[in-house]
Amino acid sequence: MNATQFLSIFISAVFIYNVIFSRFLGLCSFVAISKQTKPALAMSLSVMFVTTMSSLITWFIYRFLLIPFGLTYLRTISFILVIATFVQLVEMVIRKISPPLYRFFGIYLPLITVNCAVLGVAVLNSDMFFLNNKAVTGSFYYSLFQGVCVGLGYTLAMLLMSGIRERLDLCNVPKALKDFPLAFIIAAIMGLSFLGFNGFRF
Amino acid sequence: MEIFTAIITLGVLGLLFGIGLAIASKRFKVESDPRLEKIHGLLPGSNCGACGGAGCFGFAEAILSGKVKIDACRVSSDAVKEEIAQILGRKLQKDIKKVAVLHCNGGRKVKDRFLYQGIPDCVAANLVFGGQKECVWGCLGFGDCEKICPFGAIKMSDEGLPVVDVNKCKACNKCVEICPKKLFTLIPIASTLYIACSSHDLGKDTKAVCPVGCIACRKCEQVCPVDAIAVIDAFDKSSASTLSEVEGVDNLAVIDYDKCTSCGECVKICPMKTILIRS
Repeated sequence: MNATQFLSIFISAVFIYNVIFSRFLGLCSFVAISKQTKPALAMSLSVMFVTTMSSLITWFIYRFLLIPFGLTYLRTISFILVIATFVQLVEMVIRKISPPLYRFFGIYLPLITVNCAVLGVAVLNSDMFFLNNKAVTGSFYYSLFQGVCVGLGYTLAMLLMSGIRERLDLCNVPKALKDFPLAFIIAAIMGLSFLGFNGFRF
Repeated sequence: MEIFTAIITLGVLGLLFGIGLAIASKRFKVESDPRLEKIHGLLPGSNCGACGGAGCFGFAEAILSGKVKIDACRVSSDAVKEEIAQILGRKLQKDIKKVAVLHCNGGRKVKDRFLYQGIPDCVAANLVFGGQKECVWGCLGFGDCEKICPFGAIKMSDEGLPVVDVNKCKACNKCVEICPKKLFTLIPIASTLYIACSSHDLGKDTKAVCPVGCIACRKCEQVCPVDAIAVIDAFDKSSASTLSEVEGVDNLAVIDYDKCTSCGECVKICPMKTILIRS
C-alpha cells in the first residue's frame, strides 16, 4: 500500500477509464440529468456517495461471505442485492431525518439503485484488488478510494456535459438535432477526446 | 453440495435484508396527510409557479399548512377551488381576478438605433446598450413573453407588440417577470383603461422617438373626475444637477385602479393617444 498506487487509482478512475466516457457505464442518468448544472451536481454527489458506500459494503460481502464459501461466481446478484437494499435504506433514513436533504437527493436515489456505474465499481474492485481469491494488501483502502474516484469521474463528466448543454440552450440549433441528438453527438466527441488519456499507462 | 451452499447463503442474505428493510420501513415511516394527495390531484399540475410555491405539490403542502390562501392558485377554476376548500373545511376567500397589460404601444412605430443581429431574445438584446430601439423604455419585440406564457395567451402582432388574450390570461406573472423592460403589469379585470407607455423621458424626448408615448402634458390629470390618474413628477429643474437626477424624474401618467371607474374621459383628451382601452 503506497501513495503511488492511490495516485494511479485516482488518475485511471477519473481520466483514463472515466466511468462515462471510457467505460460507458451509467449513461442513462448522464444523458437525462445533464441539462442544468445544479441538478447535475446534486446527482453527481449522490452517485459519489453511493459508489463509495457500495464499494465499502461489497468489499465486506466479497471478502467474508463469497470467498470463504467459494461463491465468487454469484457476485453480480449478491452485489445488486446489497446495493439495492442499501440505497432503499438510505432513502428511508434520509426521508425521516432530514426532509430538505430528501428533497435534494430523493429523486435521484431510486435512479442510482439501478445505475450500472455503481455495480461497475463493485465488480471492478473485486477484479482488481483480489488475486486468486485473496485480498491484496490494502485492498480495502484501494476499494474505498476507487469508489470515491469513480464518483469524481462521474461528477467531472456531468459538470462538463451540463455546462455545454446549458450554453447550447441559447444557440440556434436545427430542430432535428435539438436536445438529445445533439447531446449524443457531444457525448461521442467527448468520449473520443477522453480516449486520448489512454496514452498514459501506469 | 455446492448448490446448497449457494442457495442457503443467498437465501439467508436476502431474508436478512428483507427483514431489515421491513423493520426500517416501520421505524422510519413518515406520516403523510391523505388530504395532501387529494388536493394535489385537484390542482392543475402544470407547475407554473404563479402561486409562488415550488410547483403544484409545494402549493398543496402550503395550503394544507394554512400558509397561503387557496385562491393564490391563478389557474384552477372556481369550482375546483371550492372543492379544495371543502376538503379542508375552510371558506374560500376570493382575490380580484387580474389580467396582464403591456405598457407600451411603440412597436414598429419606433425606429431602431442600430442593426441588432444577435440572439432573437429580449433579455439578450437588452444587454446590448439596452436594446436596439430608439426608445430605451419600450418593447423590443422579440416575444420573450410569448415564449414564456404557459397558457398561450400572448401573441406577437404585426405591429411587433405582444397582444394579451384576456380570456386565456391567468395572471400568472410570468411575463411580468421575464420582460427586461418591465412593461407588463397585472390590472383588475374590471378596469379597461391602461397607459400604453413606460417612458420616463422628458416629454419632448419621448415625442422625438415615439408618436404614441406619454409626454406628461397632464391633461388627463385635469380631466379625471375621480382623481384616479396622475403624472407624478418630483422634477424641479433648479435642484437637479446631475443627469441621473434628471433621468430619475417620472414624467409618466399612472392610473390608480382603486379609484378608476373606466369612464374614458382621459382617453378622449389624451393628445398622444397613449391611454388605451383594453379590448
